[in-house]
Amino acid sequence: MTQQREIIEELSQFIKKNQASEEEFNSLALHIFNYQYKHNLPYQTFCRQKGKTPRLVKNWRDIPYVPMSAFKEVPLTCSDPEAAVRVFMTSGTTQGKQGKHFHSTLEIRELSMIINFKERFMKETNRIRMGILFPTEEKMPHSSLAHYLALVMKEFGTEDSCYLLKENGVHIQKIISELEHAEKTGEPFALLGASFSFVHLFEELERLGKTFNLPKGSKILDSGGYKNKSKELDLNEFYQLLERYFGVDRSNCINMYGITELSTQFYDDGNEVVPSIKTGPSWIRTRVINPLTGEEVPEGERGVLVHYDLANFNSVMAVATEDVGMAVDEGFYLFGRVQGAEARGCSLAVEEFIQLAKGTAK
Amino acid sequence: MNFEGKVVLVTGASRGIGAAIARAFAKEGAFVIVNYLQNKMLAEKVAAECIQLGGDGYAIQGDVTSEEAVNQMIEEIMLEAGKIDVVVNNAFKSFQFNPETRKLAWEVQWEDYQGQIDGAVRSAHYICQAVIPIMKKQSQGSIINIITNLVERPIVPYHEYNTAKTALMGYSRNLAVEVGSFGIRVNCVAPGLVYPTDASRTTKENLKELIIAQTPLKRIATPEDIAGPVLFLASDWSRFMTGQTLYVDGGFVM
Amino acid sequence: MLASGRRVYSIGERNSKMRITAGYIPNIGETKFDKKILKFQDLEVELPLLTLEQMQRVIDTVKRESAEILKSLSVSTVVDIIGYVTEQFLDRSSSYRQQAEKLLPIVTGYDEEVIRLGLTSFLKTFRKHELQRFLVEDLGNPLLLDHFQPRAKGGFSKAIGPELITHVWAGNVPALPIWSFVSGLLVKAGNIGKVSSSEPLFAGWFAKALAEAEPSLANCFAVVWWKGGDEKREKMIFEKSNLVIGYGNNETLKALKKQVPITTRFLPFGHKVSFGIISKSALDAHKAWRIAHQAALDVIRYDQQGCYSPHLFYVQKGGKVSPVEFARLIAGELENFEKRYPRRKLSMEESVALASWRQKEEMSTFTETGKEVLGTSTHQWTVVFEEEEKVFTASPLNRVIRVISFEKLEDILPYIKPYRSFLQTIGMAATPKELFHWAELLANVGVTRITALGKMTSPEAGWHHDGRFNLLDLIQMVDIESSAIVDSEQFAPYVD
Repeated sequence: MTQQREIIEELSQFIKKNQASEEEFNSLALHIFNYQYKHNLPYQTFCRQKGKTPRLVKNWRDIPYVPMSAFKEVPLTCSDPEAAVRVFMTSGTTQGKQGKHFHSTLEIRELSMIINFKERFMKETNRIRMGILFPTEEKMPHSSLAHYLALVMKEFGTEDSCYLLKENGVHIQKIISELEHAEKTGEPFALLGASFSFVHLFEELERLGKTFNLPKGSKILDSGGYKNKSKELDLNEFYQLLERYFGVDRSNCINMYGITELSTQFYDDGNEVVPSIKTGPSWIRTRVINPLTGEEVPEGERGVLVHYDLANFNSVMAVATEDVGMAVDEGFYLFGRVQGAEARGCSLAVEEFIQLAKGTAK
Repeated sequence: MNFEGKVVLVTGASRGIGAAIARAFAKEGAFVIVNYLQNKMLAEKVAAECIQLGGDGYAIQGDVTSEEAVNQMIEEIMLEAGKIDVVVNNAFKSFQFNPETRKLAWEVQWEDYQGQIDGAVRSAHYICQAVIPIMKKQSQGSIINIITNLVERPIVPYHEYNTAKTALMGYSRNLAVEVGSFGIRVNCVAPGLVYPTDASRTTKENLKELIIAQTPLKRIATPEDIAGPVLFLASDWSRFMTGQTLYVDGGFVM
Repeated sequence: MLASGRRVYSIGERNSKMRITAGYIPNIGETKFDKKILKFQDLEVELPLLTLEQMQRVIDTVKRESAEILKSLSVSTVVDIIGYVTEQFLDRSSSYRQQAEKLLPIVTGYDEEVIRLGLTSFLKTFRKHELQRFLVEDLGNPLLLDHFQPRAKGGFSKAIGPELITHVWAGNVPALPIWSFVSGLLVKAGNIGKVSSSEPLFAGWFAKALAEAEPSLANCFAVVWWKGGDEKREKMIFEKSNLVIGYGNNETLKALKKQVPITTRFLPFGHKVSFGIISKSALDAHKAWRIAHQAALDVIRYDQQGCYSPHLFYVQKGGKVSPVEFARLIAGELENFEKRYPRRKLSMEESVALASWRQKEEMSTFTETGKEVLGTSTHQWTVVFEEEEKVFTASPLNRVIRVISFEKLEDILPYIKPYRSFLQTIGMAATPKELFHWAELLANVGVTRITALGKMTSPEAGWHHDGRFNLLDLIQMVDIESSAIVDSEQFAPYVD
């Protein structure tokens, strides 16, 4: 059995069991770290530079984490990037470079998604009629969210489930007919998609003056924030609108927090109160750190989220985000992306300089 | 004292004082590189003990009087650990400590001196040359050279040995001045007679009694006694000490 | 004439928080103002928030009184007064100095020692004899500010300061506003300054100390606050000013400029980039450490927030101490300074920016040979070394410095040149011959100040800030041409 196969087997068991003691998590985390150190050469260099090699790391908390931006700079993978079955990419940000997450197999990623989604969204239901407010996998082959939504529709959607977007926006007639159908038949309906698609949908429905009252058992899942694609909405207002337009209780409006650089998602248990507490399954753990020292911040203080996702076995398990959060007993609060630092003196700030450099390059 | 996550290289650590120092670091959680010249089995035993004690150990062969061997060894350590925080230059060229059969001043050949100077200064120099760039990059590091209290009070004038160790003290002080700007500290630990070690196995009882009588703490040092001051000089507790020599001889020299 | 409205400064315990009043309002016949509270850790700063109507009265008062009183004083009297006030702020036993040393660390976050040393080195520039240097530097003959003075070309001239200068100060480098405030006073202008929210204290103290030293000047200036971008207010004030001096980034300056009418002059001081150049001749075994020490000092002073603070050091190859060794020496010095003068506590935003910058640099060492990132996450500084990196990049500041090796200065100039309008200070260690040769080359790409390493953050009195004049830019000259004098002779009663 190859080393990768061995890890996959071990991980599958771990994920299927879906409960782990500190020792169990630690032991598999160190095993995977060892594997990644050996096979992911840029990561190995990074660890050596930090003076944190498998020889020295005894606790998963000490495993060196890479910043999300590292995925833009070098191929962070334990297998040949050319041979990847799938590459997910981040949407291009200000600098135009896209982060790439290579997958040698989707086996673990999909297992992780399915077990976690069943537990956190489907619960006792096996299948539900779904409407997806996001482009298909074919349209966006590099979007991890597209892959996610396609997978959950295949695994948990009824045969009548469908996509509700068209070329340039929401397919409003189709949405209305789906929602009316649900209202009429009383069959529970699930609307899933990117948060900003819901914002677009609000605008459309407001224009048409339409609201719905979906039957009991209906649910909503949104993900990803708004990312400048639409007007900024207050989080509270967002869930108020979901409730108003679709008649779905806020406790059944679930937000999924996931990033391209990971293979596992976090969920909340509804959004009656915002911000809600996000939690993940047994194979992912999160530390809230002071970004400068890498030390955990005292409880009740804000810090930056670092995720240790065992399902990320083929790239790097430990990924530092630029998301600000706060640890609580069960999970963490997510407060969103950290804002750019402001210049405090009269020295030119890096941001300004970059703008300048762009200007002079033109 | 917590040395968790710290990488410590101890040369000549398969036995005696070196092994005791290695074990003491491991007990505080360090990753100890157990350098040895010949005795692989013993070195691996020390490394295994390091793991048992809660730290980590890694036996690595290397002739510290060979520049090439030293560079190779340091490279290997860097691959394994990515850094070196502490170096203890403990290895020395074997020497018969026998006050009765020692060479008299007029019998000592230059080659005798050369042999000991190579064993003490040359080996320390090769190691330092190899680790200082690494420590500079880290802007910190602690080097501890093991000498002898005979440099201060040559109760038995082992000419070639004492001279070489005295030279190592001078080497350490000069190095300390130069590398201090990079946050690197260089200090010496000077034990008195340590028993039992392979080197002191043949020491006569009457000499031991003589030393004991003149030692305020009224006994002879064990290898474990030497480890404490070495750990201290390796730790942050001594962060503002460099170029110093700590005498560890029960007060024999003061 | 102590107006009751000028209760500028008081300390009172409230809810265990210290509350102080800041700003300085001249006597406009009323003392009740709306308040703006700025919070800094355990300190609350209360600033008067004027209505437009109150603002109007401040403007009228400052204009009137400065015309009547300040303009009637001789420039040497003005120098005496400012010099006296400066001495008070330098005197560590004075209450002003003690308050500054106590409160500025809280407001700005800088370490107490950094503030103490920074204040002294900065304020020394405004002692009497240094103020005289300001005057002579710009005017040659300072009496030009008092009376018509004979000119070499014939005729007479007098320098007239504006009726009203409005200063829009920025940033958290303590006491920095004094520079333009003092310049404004030297030309006997009425001055209204707007403090920034990140250091709202010092300018107000200085104003109060001036009024105490010379009560007749009490109504010749004001120190106020309004929310930046308050267009209506800015338009109104700028309309009434002869000159607006603005500090900030280009974005801010652009916004300010939009509010300045064509009849008012606008002097913008934008953010700048400064750096150091070290010749191989300074890098022998004996001198290298001292140079590194000086360079590190420039880095730690106000954590590089000043426009004159270094973003990077270019270090020439071929010295006894190589550029990478020099980088390591700076790292060692930064660590030593950290113990004496710790870095300001960074906000979450700054921490994230710094951490991700650092990690990105670390990642890039995989592909760039010779590159080194010095310091670990336990250090409060970072030094990045790059071998002949053909770029000129800004530092994220807060004790982050890049060291880049070079062969010939000519090699790096093309990379600096595109930033011409943003270049300011060079800290240089070189032989006299190199100093002048390199100065020529650097002057051509836009550099405006060359100084010794260790002095980057302490410009000397009368320096040409961003290449401009401190006083000449503020005044207008009035000429009496010789023809008028010749002509007037015939009308003299004693004409023969």
